[in-house]
Amino acid sequence: MTSNRAEETPQLLAEFTVSSEPGNERVALREVAAAAADCGLTLDQMERLKTAVAEATMNAIEHGNENRAEIPVDITVMRTLDAVAVTITDRGGDRADHVEREIPDLELKLRGEQRPRGWGLFLLQSMVDGMEVSTHGALHTVRLTMRTGGDDGNEGEQHAEQL
Amino acid sequence: MPSSCEVEVRRLPGTVVLVMRGEIDASASQPLQVAYAGTLGPDMATRVVLDFTEVDYMNSTGIALIVGVLAQARAEHRTVAASGLSEHYRQIFEITRLSDFIQIFADVDDAIAITT
Repeated sequence: MTSNRAEETPQLLAEFTVSSEPGNERVALREVAAAAADCGLTLDQMERLKTAVAEATMNAIEHGNENRAEIPVDITVMRTLDAVAVTITDRGGDRADHVEREIPDLELKLRGEQRPRGWGLFLLQSMVDGMEVSTHGALHTVRLTMRTGGDDGNEGEQHAEQL
Repeated sequence: MPSSCEVEVRRLPGTVVLVMRGEIDASASQPLQVAYAGTLGPDMATRVVLDFTEVDYMNSTGIALIVGVLAQARAEHRTVAASGLSEHYRQIFEITRLSDFIQIFADVDDAIAITT
């Protein structure tokens, strides 16, 4: 039992911050991809994780830190026994942007009955195996998980070569 | 970090191709709108092909821009096709249901061959 608990302790792969400036989500996704390159994610999983990280970081920059460059977004990448976990933390405190957004409906959007935007949270949730949101004072954290151990273990190596 | 997007307009009989390059995010709004506006007129093509071959990043704001182009095109009774999407962005087109309204082709030559 003790041994299993030790094996389940998350391994920190990367910890970094980005300033809250539009476009820095691309820095985040590149850093996360590099940190998770050897975790056994398939190419498809890696692309989905990158998109989810980018969307969560955009939310943190725009809605959490309100594009104030001096306020950092903190990002960690961890490996657990069966997953890669990424946390994205801003200083925006509790807010409803992860629970109250309308579900995007393309037909309504094409008819002008729903705004063209509003895809971020939907995309984010569609891309990963798990998403948890927590708030501690001003710290608002989104935790994304992607299970490892896909059918094609070689694809992770292919991704590592492409980085 | 500055973002970049360029949109080249290629005119063919009955079809206009918007060749997008770079990043389809908020910064793509103006170049995409300008390019699209340039395709309007008396000899307006009835089909619009959006070529993503040289697009290396697209986010949810970029998806919204594509929705905007699709909505405008449909209002003008034009059809829209897409080419050069990576497998990942094809998935996103399916998840968002854009693929229900935009015919998807492997590359721009295939799209042009069928739309002309």
